[in-house]
Amino acid sequence: MPGTPYPKEQMHRIAYTKLSERQIADKLSTVAVSGPTSASPLSDVFAGKSIQIVTDKGPALAYTFSRGNRLSVAENGGGAVEAGYGALTLSSVAFFSHMIPGTQRGYAVVVDQDTNLAAVFELWFSGYEDKREVQREIYYGYVEQPGQEAPKARHVTTNRVEGKGFYWKQDTGAETLEFYPSAAYSNFVELSRLGGELGFCAPSDYIKINDDFYIYTRTECEFSGTFTAYVMDLNRVEQVGVRLGFDSNDELEYYVFRGKGEWLGQIAQFEKFGDENGSPVPAAAAGQTPAKGARRVYRPLRTMAKMSKADVDAAVAKRASAFPAATTGPGAQMGGNRGPSTGWLAGKTFTLRYDHAPAMEYRFDDAETLNWRKEGDSGWTKARYQAWESTPGVILYGHLLDGAPNHDGHSIVVDFHQGLVTCFNGYLNTPYFANEAGVKILFGVIEMEGLIPPKYNRHQFTDEMVGRAVSQNYAPGLTSMHLYTTPHSLSWIIFTDADAGGLEWSGPAAYVKIRDGLYFMYWLEEACNGTLGTILVNLHTMRDVGVGYSCGTNGLSMSAVGAHERLAGRFDITRFYQVKS
Amino acid sequence: MTADTTPTRRSFLKGGALLAAPLAAALPAALVADDRLRARLEKLEDEAAVHKLHQAWLRQINTRSGDAATPLFADSEGAAFDQSVRSIAADHAGQPDAIEVAADGQSAAGRFHCAVEIETTIAQDCTLARMAHAQGGGFVRRTERRVLKVEYMKASGAWAIAKVEFASV
Repeated sequence: MPGTPYPKEQMHRIAYTKLSERQIADKLSTVAVSGPTSASPLSDVFAGKSIQIVTDKGPALAYTFSRGNRLSVAENGGGAVEAGYGALTLSSVAFFSHMIPGTQRGYAVVVDQDTNLAAVFELWFSGYEDKREVQREIYYGYVEQPGQEAPKARHVTTNRVEGKGFYWKQDTGAETLEFYPSAAYSNFVELSRLGGELGFCAPSDYIKINDDFYIYTRTECEFSGTFTAYVMDLNRVEQVGVRLGFDSNDELEYYVFRGKGEWLGQIAQFEKFGDENGSPVPAAAAGQTPAKGARRVYRPLRTMAKMSKADVDAAVAKRASAFPAATTGPGAQMGGNRGPSTGWLAGKTFTLRYDHAPAMEYRFDDAETLNWRKEGDSGWTKARYQAWESTPGVILYGHLLDGAPNHDGHSIVVDFHQGLVTCFNGYLNTPYFANEAGVKILFGVIEMEGLIPPKYNRHQFTDEMVGRAVSQNYAPGLTSMHLYTTPHSLSWIIFTDADAGGLEWSGPAAYVKIRDGLYFMYWLEEACNGTLGTILVNLHTMRDVGVGYSCGTNGLSMSAVGAHERLAGRFDITRFYQVKS
Repeated sequence: MTADTTPTRRSFLKGGALLAAPLAAALPAALVADDRLRARLEKLEDEAAVHKLHQAWLRQINTRSGDAATPLFADSEGAAFDQSVRSIAADHAGQPDAIEVAADGQSAAGRFHCAVEIETTIAQDCTLARMAHAQGGGFVRRTERRVLKVEYMKASGAWAIAKVEFASV
């Protein structure tokens, strides 16, 4: 019986070992001498040559390359050391990488042999509190040519890669989908390593060699800390690069690779025309000089409140708030563009009969107060709610279920034109952190006087949103973009003040089709802050409305979400998620 | 017959007296003019000092560089300026700058039409806002036309800002 491609734990759930400097040094000692492995034949483009690389604000590197993938390198005129290296070429671009024996440092170097310009990536371990996380500093320079003036041009950081997406297959067999919706971050889906269920995000660099060739890097911060860098030819969709880091079993991966891919599409950029700034997210605060290797990294798990079930119960007992009347307070800004709520439900009575969960009976007192009970219960529970009619006949409303053992909250789309209901049933006391929301998806029908529901028809999961990018403006200064990278996850990109894509993160998600152009979806901010976000996206009006459900030390909260949207394009990726026999 | 045209001392004195009369009358007027010039000079110097003080303050605002060595405010209360203001630029579509020094030269008032860039920090109460702050953003900026009303006072011979107020145009 064939196995599945799925890991025991997804990347955001793996408790990566906190490797010590000694453990790292021990594992590096061998590869520093041997050099990186490669599934493809290595290039001897440098064999027998000596080159001097001069960088603007970094090291001067004097290399002598021997046969057998051996080199000697002298940094800044110091003594030469010998190391193993691996080189690969892509047209005129040569790429090589090596470590410095006896250290936890190494280099990845890109040389454009047409221009002699070079980009040098200094790489090192033990530079951050999580010592396994590879650090990088980038230096720009050139290969010195005796008797010639130093070139004035340099490789430069760029946003010209922003909006692109590729399928890549390395010579190792590793298959990924990689999206560059930001100039500072990227999103990658590990198709072969992890089965492609979820997409993940990592801080990234984008460097322009010329109009056709670019360098990309990512460091899997908050996960394994692995560093990947490659040169890519956008036209031929080919890559050469390096992967350096420790996997989930703490095995060292250090190899150079060659890959081929497919172009998946191009989504929109939102910077002003002419803005090609490749550093939209400053590495340090204004007026401060960034430390070596510094960059902005979103590390949400560090700041997330990690609560036990007892903590959650106590916090919810202290405060459980749904749709607070004040226009400020937790989450209020996310509802800035939700539009007017509807009072259509006031005075109505109906039952939502779910296929695989107890039926819920409702009596609506007014536009903001309802009474609910599970079928068979005698007593009614009063709850505050708010409702929005996204399109005629389709209403989204949400409420907390006071007294539920897991402090449930329902975000419900009732579709009176079809007699159907879909509920995202949020709940707490989940396995990893008790305050992290989980979700159950409930499909069913509406039982209401004068309404005959279907017997078999239901709202359905859909992949119609997969690959799409949709921006959301919630309030002035609060603009993000969803990128629906797999049928089971989405990522969100935060725009900078200049409307460049900045930090990005991702979480599990699902999409339900209510009707053409109307999609009900959720995402879980797992290992982030535990929020369950639910929105009803109307592609006709380009507005979403929804409900956020979250628990922290301040208690349980349900709040409105609403944004003006813009379509930002679509990647052609649904074919990667078909079941293959 | 020739006339005695030799001027006599008397006639000289007479003429002198005639000439002297306007001089004697003009002396107090010159003194007055001198005072006026001095007052005007002092006023111009005060206006220039206030203008210089205003420019120094604008520089501090626009560069966000408070210089403790050159205090611009008469007291800390006056210095408690709206921190949401990021920059102030002259509004050349507005009225000209006006600095009026009081008659006693101990206080002054300025009116400056300007374009004020105001930055409002977004509360970190949701993931999006927290991420915006994490990347060095998390604020909303807007520019408004305002009239900057500033009161100045002279203490120990030096001008200082007593009060700053932004008014709607």
